Amino acid sequence: MAKLRFAVVWLIVALPLLWGVYRTSLNALKLFQ
Amino acid sequence: MSTTMPERFGRGETGANGFLDRSRSIAPRNFNRFLVPPAALAVHLSIGQAYAFSTFNLPLTRLLGLSASASGDWTLKEVGWTFSVAIAFLGLSAAVFGRWVEHAGPRKAMFVAATLFGGGFFVAALGIHLHAIALLFLGYGVLGGCGLGIGYISPVSTLIKWFPDRPGMATGMAIMGFGGGALIAAPLSVLLMEHYKTPVSNGVVETFVTMGILYFVFMMIGAFTVRVPPQDWKPPGWTPPAMPRKLVTSANVHVDTAWKTRQFWLLWVVLCMNVTAGIGVLGQASPMIQEMFVGRVSPAAAAGFVGLLSLFNMGGRFFWATISDYIGRRNTYLIFFSLGIVLYALVPSIGLMGSVPLFVAAFAVILSMYGGGFATIPAYLRDIFGSMNVGAIHGRLLTAWAVAGVLGPVLVNYLREYQINSGVPKAQAYSVTMYIMCGLLLIGLACNVAVREVHARHHHTGS
Repeated sequence: MAKLRFAVVWLIVALPLLWGVYRTSLNALKLFQ
Repeated sequence: MSTTMPERFGRGETGANGFLDRSRSIAPRNFNRFLVPPAALAVHLSIGQAYAFSTFNLPLTRLLGLSASASGDWTLKEVGWTFSVAIAFLGLSAAVFGRWVEHAGPRKAMFVAATLFGGGFFVAALGIHLHAIALLFLGYGVLGGCGLGIGYISPVSTLIKWFPDRPGMATGMAIMGFGGGALIAAPLSVLLMEHYKTPVSNGVVETFVTMGILYFVFMMIGAFTVRVPPQDWKPPGWTPPAMPRKLVTSANVHVDTAWKTRQFWLLWVVLCMNVTAGIGVLGQASPMIQEMFVGRVSPAAAAGFVGLLSLFNMGGRFFWATISDYIGRRNTYLIFFSLGIVLYALVPSIGLMGSVPLFVAAFAVILSMYGGGFATIPAYLRDIFGSMNVGAIHGRLLTAWAVAGVLGPVLVNYLREYQINSGVPKAQAYSVTMYIMCGLLLIGLACNVAVREVHARHHHTGS
């Protein structure tokens, strides 16, 4: 149960951050095109 | 025998209030301390939205005209004040409420921050709906700004107490969230405005309401998850070093004493100079690269440059704060200032050489150190003043950010304008600014080198 809670909390926080990093990286790539 | 509500929750406390109390958030012995950084991240990722407020600038100037500004629409200058008010209240509230945050504990502080930040969006949405700019300032600027300040400092001392072995890494992870918040908020705001757009509205009101709900819920996940360590808790297998490291105290300094010491003001200048050197560039990055490399960098590529700087700003927060656990805080800032001086001094020559990759690389490193400065300062304060009041001391030190927030953009923008008006070509209009940045970093370097241990007469002796 503790491990599941740990995974869920980290997922909730990490997913939006990864989405933001992904979107920004796509934008940053325009610099090299 | 059944117990009544007041008995269960303590003297005269209601259930909700009791739940928010520090005493109710003490962790059990087997609690996994790595659950605290995501709690802090949930708060910082939310309040980091402030850095992306500029995505609303244009839509807010077209509330009546929709496709273009109409008579009676707010001007860009008027709307621009919203962000400035929010940052001013961030600094003020962090300084004023720091002691309360230490006393109330992280859960109550996060709850208040979530209510103010989320509620601020609702009040601002009402202001946009009624087209009353004072309500926008009150909602996003004043209430939201107080949410920013309280939210920013709420997890700092808790993280330091959970990670006495790696305080830089722990606070760096949280403060990285503030940089990452803008990466989420910028595309999210655009997507929401597109979603809510109708022929008679550009969807800003609905976007503000949605963001208010989303951020409140997300910050509350942090408030529910955060725990404070039990009294005298230590990481398993870790013992405090027998011989204290240089510039790392085992004593504590009270917040009211700390801000009267020389060390506090030296660190205040250190933070102020480091932030000033980065913040002006961050705001002016897109026009600067286009003007220094005329015809070679398109507006789309310049937007890519801004995105890249944001990534380095975020990554630098975690990277440099973690490094500081191994090489020490003073050495970390020594790198920031020395390397910063070299890079800023090289920028005009790089511009004359016409090397875009070198220019981009130089500013990527500069912005990583800008973020690193924010993320390393809580651990530096812990080293110098102890962990007892570190959150409150950090709150007072953040006034340096508010000053730098004015100083940085003024230096970059006004000096550029002055240079152009004096007949300097646009491509070279930033050279003087870069050399002034070197001077500011030199002041920061001198202050950093002057930092010494706090004298024992300032140590807190009470319980």
